[in-house]
Amino acid sequence: MRLILTHAAAMTRELVRYPAYLVPTLLFPTAFFVFFVVPSAGRFVTVKMVAFAGFAAIGVAFFQFGVGIANERASPWEAYLRTLPVGVGRRLAARVLSAAVFAVAAAGLLLVVAVATTDASLSIVRWFELGLVLLVGTVPFALLGVALGYWAPARGALPIANLLYLSLAYAGGLWIRPSELPDPVQAVSPFLPTRALADALTATVYANPFAPRPWLLLLGFACGFALLAAWGFRRDEGRRFR
Amino acid sequence: MIAALENATKRFGSTVAVSDASFGLDEGEVVALLGPNGAGKTTSLALLLGLRRPDEGRAVVFGADPRRAETRRNIGATPQEMAFPHALRVTEIVDLVRAHYEHPLARDDLLERFGLAELARRQVGGLSGGERRRVAVALAFAGGAPLVVLDEPTASLDTDARRAVWEAIRAHGAAGGSVLLTTHHLDEAEALATRVVVIDDGRTIADAGVPEIKAAAGLTRVRFRAPPDARVDGARRDGDHVRLLVADAGAAVAQLVRDGVPLHDLEVRPATLEEALGALTERL
Repeated sequence: MRLILTHAAAMTRELVRYPAYLVPTLLFPTAFFVFFVVPSAGRFVTVKMVAFAGFAAIGVAFFQFGVGIANERASPWEAYLRTLPVGVGRRLAARVLSAAVFAVAAAGLLLVVAVATTDASLSIVRWFELGLVLLVGTVPFALLGVALGYWAPARGALPIANLLYLSLAYAGGLWIRPSELPDPVQAVSPFLPTRALADALTATVYANPFAPRPWLLLLGFACGFALLAAWGFRRDEGRRFR
Repeated sequence: MIAALENATKRFGSTVAVSDASFGLDEGEVVALLGPNGAGKTTSLALLLGLRRPDEGRAVVFGADPRRAETRRNIGATPQEMAFPHALRVTEIVDLVRAHYEHPLARDDLLERFGLAELARRQVGGLSGGERRRVAVALAFAGGAPLVVLDEPTASLDTDARRAVWEAIRAHGAAGGSVLLTTHHLDEAEALATRVVVIDDGRTIADAGVPEIKAAAGLTRVRFRAPPDARVDGARRDGDHVRLLVADAGAAVAQLVRDGVPLHDLEVRPATLEEALGALTERL
């Protein structure tokens, strides 16, 4: 456990000192929210806030896992770390911890700004529920990030991550409420993992009975992405460390 | 033996990087692994460090497989100098590595020993190549591991830094630790190594003590074109050329002339380390 924390601290420190990472991941979702949601907040502002919090959290998952792993695969530093007495599992656990720190910061900042600048509000219980949904709901995207990290070349990872991230966020209804999306997008939207996340997040705002559909979808995607990640990992291990 | 390759073979596709290689280190030994570029030195180190798995044979460190993390508690290695995460400070990197070992060296002593005390707070990205090299070498010793593996430890170092590294290697050996290092410099191998292992084309072609190496290092190579029926004592055929490794080139050529051997395209030059060591293996 101590080693996991040590590695997580080193990863976090390194990223904190790169403004090129820190600024986009932490500030962009909040900036988008301030530019595009705050001026026309309307009565769905709380729904928009929770959806944007999801947008902020999965951004960290995409970039820290996808781009981070893809870059590391090309780096001799990672090969050196493999000569230390530490297994691959602990390094991955450290990455999860470090990503959690950034995800909490990115989503937290957005929520604080949203509450301060709009009428968005939730009861105490709902806030906890939202935190839980964000935490669990981000897992499939972290796995997609890992898969991307092992399949994409180092140079391609960033543009691919951006493309996937932004198009999934839009089509899944994290920026615009799903009912306001253009018809062709609405046709594919229900089959996207981001839409499942948007639905799960929206459910925290309304006092509806628990709806299992988005969670089953997220679970399905999580399994699929985990397989893809495991396959990519094995392929990469075979190339570099067999 | 605290670490060894035992008949290890490693292929990458159709290329054989290491072929049936065997060598090892005992406690207190400093072993220099020599060979031309592409000879299989890096792959041999990768096998011993647990980065790669031999296709045949095995790599053993303290009786166990170095691919297991616990086994690697006994190993300290150097990263390539350009590999560091640039935003981390020297102390942070040293502490990260120290955290993996049960009996790491005290951080300040380590920094002092490698002349890094003044750079301690600097981010690694801002260091010069030589400074990074020093950090890299220091990391191999940081964990206090009994086996230290150094890949070209003094490349791009100035005289003072080189001396500090040499002292650290000697001190480690004197304290009962073992060092396996690669180098391109014969003088470095001579100054440090208790034993020299030469690898070429993936095979271990020599494994001998420094005195034998020194004796062999004074050789000169005499090479010339000779008809297929020419008979020259102690010579090796190399296509239509013949080559000799001799201690006294003048006497050898004089003898050839007296024997009436035709000497076409005569070429005389000091034997390279590999040639000297190759000649040595044949005598052993």
